[in-house]
Amino acid sequence: MRILEAIFLVFINPLFYKITLTAATPLIFASLGGVYSEITGVVNIALEGIMLLGAFTSVLFTWLTGNVWIGVFMAVISGLALAWLHAWGSIKWAGNQVVLGTALILIAQGVTGFLMEPIFGKPGQTDFVGKVEELRIPGLADIPFIGKVFGELSPFVYMAFAAVAFSWWLIYKTRLGLRMRSVGENPEAADTLGINVYGIRYFGVLMSGVWAGLAGAYLSVGEVGHFRELMSGGRGFIALAAMILGNYNPVGAMLASLLFGASSAFANQMQSSSLIHVSATVKPLFDMIPFVLTIIVVAGFVGKSHVPKADGVPYEKEA
Amino acid sequence: MKKVFVVLLAMLFVVSAFSFKAIMVTDTGGLGDKSFNDGTWAGIVRAAKELGVESKVIQSYEQADYISNLSKAAEEVQKEPDGGIVYAVGFMMTDALFQVAQQYPDVYFAGIDIAPPTENVPPNVVTFLFKEQESAFLVGYVAAATTRVGKVGFIGGIPIPPVERFRYGFETGVKVYNDLHGTNVTIIKGYTNHFSDPKKGKDLALSQFAEGVDIIFHASGACGNGVIEAAKEKMVSLVGSEDLSKIIEYAFENGGIFAMGVDVDQDYMAPGVVLASAMKGVDTASYMGVMWAYNGEWEPGVHVLGLAEDGVRMSPMKYTKGLVSNRTLAELEYLVTLIKEGTLVIPDTEESLNSFRTPKIEFPF
Repeated sequence: MRILEAIFLVFINPLFYKITLTAATPLIFASLGGVYSEITGVVNIALEGIMLLGAFTSVLFTWLTGNVWIGVFMAVISGLALAWLHAWGSIKWAGNQVVLGTALILIAQGVTGFLMEPIFGKPGQTDFVGKVEELRIPGLADIPFIGKVFGELSPFVYMAFAAVAFSWWLIYKTRLGLRMRSVGENPEAADTLGINVYGIRYFGVLMSGVWAGLAGAYLSVGEVGHFRELMSGGRGFIALAAMILGNYNPVGAMLASLLFGASSAFANQMQSSSLIHVSATVKPLFDMIPFVLTIIVVAGFVGKSHVPKADGVPYEKEA
Repeated sequence: MKKVFVVLLAMLFVVSAFSFKAIMVTDTGGLGDKSFNDGTWAGIVRAAKELGVESKVIQSYEQADYISNLSKAAEEVQKEPDGGIVYAVGFMMTDALFQVAQQYPDVYFAGIDIAPPTENVPPNVVTFLFKEQESAFLVGYVAAATTRVGKVGFIGGIPIPPVERFRYGFETGVKVYNDLHGTNVTIIKGYTNHFSDPKKGKDLALSQFAEGVDIIFHASGACGNGVIEAAKEKMVSLVGSEDLSKIIEYAFENGGIFAMGVDVDQDYMAPGVVLASAMKGVDTASYMGVMWAYNGEWEPGVHVLGLAEDGVRMSPMKYTKGLVSNRTLAELEYLVTLIKEGTLVIPDTEESLNSFRTPKIEFPF
């Protein structure tokens, strides 16, 4: 009974919803990146590496210029650069996309780790360099409950939802979106109809770099204001799971990201609950909640998902 | 002139005759981690300066480097006429240290935060462990004295022994305060299961703040930077300014939201918001090791350093001392003497924590 009471208290706590939003934001960005790349037929597991590089670049340029938004912008540029490498290897040279993605993650980890010493003078972590201010919407903060959730949020949270709306429109309502999807389903047919398969795929992969770069910037200058080696902490892979769970659809990916965010907020809140008395050594088990939930959702609620048919298959023009 | 020359030459002989080297091999964290490696190095440098001997550091970039780096350091020390000492830093180097130490029985080895895997420690090895629980006890006491809501939080990284010892100490500190003052301060505990994901630390800290705690002590490595950031964000939003004097003024009137640091003095990371830090004096340990090896007062085996040995301590609370009453500070002083005397023993295991009863303590004031 205590457990039920604790669960109930979690759900009526407005801060649970706020933490859900902030935990889901990097996942929303990164899973959007996954959607762009994979619907055009390129598997992009490099999201984790792009996020890490984005987190590093945004801190670096915030530190150099003193302006966080320049930092965020440069995170996008660095994301584009790493994504371009992925595109170049997997589209132009038809390399194995999973191997390439893995290599890029390792490169990002190596480069950021290596550059710490010459740039910041010490490995490990940087000092606080500054962060994006929370957005305070006047009036909203005074409404009970809702004010506590939305009263003070990072602008990144709003950007993430705007990005989802934009992506949905782009992918399902425009000619470019139709082409992206057709290239991912049947590149031969698309090519016959005169669609530039390589160009569209480049676009998809590069856009994934933009979104994953933003996800990284959110983690560092958006939330904690400094960089720490390996700070992406596996979120790139969770974002991939969210993308698959969301059926390769921006809105679905957003919902799945929110689910993951909610379950990690739930896990935090439950292990912080003063109602349940479990020994401290059992507490790390709460971290399993998101993954148990994933298994339940995937096994029980999600119907057959539609994978883009040409996903992961390099397209080579017949001579 | 000739005499001067002879004297100089004699001095040169004396100087070169005492050639002794202290070499430190870092773990993969390397110099710049603001924790073990930097602390150990600071102690070695201090000792080397006082003695006028040479010191050197070898960086390890991956775990595979440990054995080769330690061997390299041992070879180098062996060449010195007066020998020297080799340092292995961090729990992860345990196996490498004992493997290499056996191959070079004439070289002194010292391990920081290393517990010997077997009972028999070779005569050329000392290792240092710390009574983390004693410094955590002090910050726990301060937390219980400062909280205005009667609820404080603990955030650990991965529950490895040093992290758990910090928790035992923190819980004991709160309990002792409760028993002595008849308060009922409770603790909320959580783990990030990570040491290098600041966002995770921040989310967990925000969850604990949402549960109503106003002070969080962290022992979670770099996750703790997120904990401190969360506290800072909350506090700045309450005060409406990042200015130290405004924060202190506000906190003095209304209380506030605080974090507590670990390992080193983290008070500077968010002045006014980090209430105090539970420090671990790795520098003391490394300083002692060099001194022993140099003076021939070598005491092989495991050395556990606590408050009495100056191995752990609480930060001087540079920014926040004004928030704690003079009475509490005096009580702390007295408790420190009790711990040093051995009258008050802080538990270092789960069992001893559960069976811990606050002894009868009469403050002499």
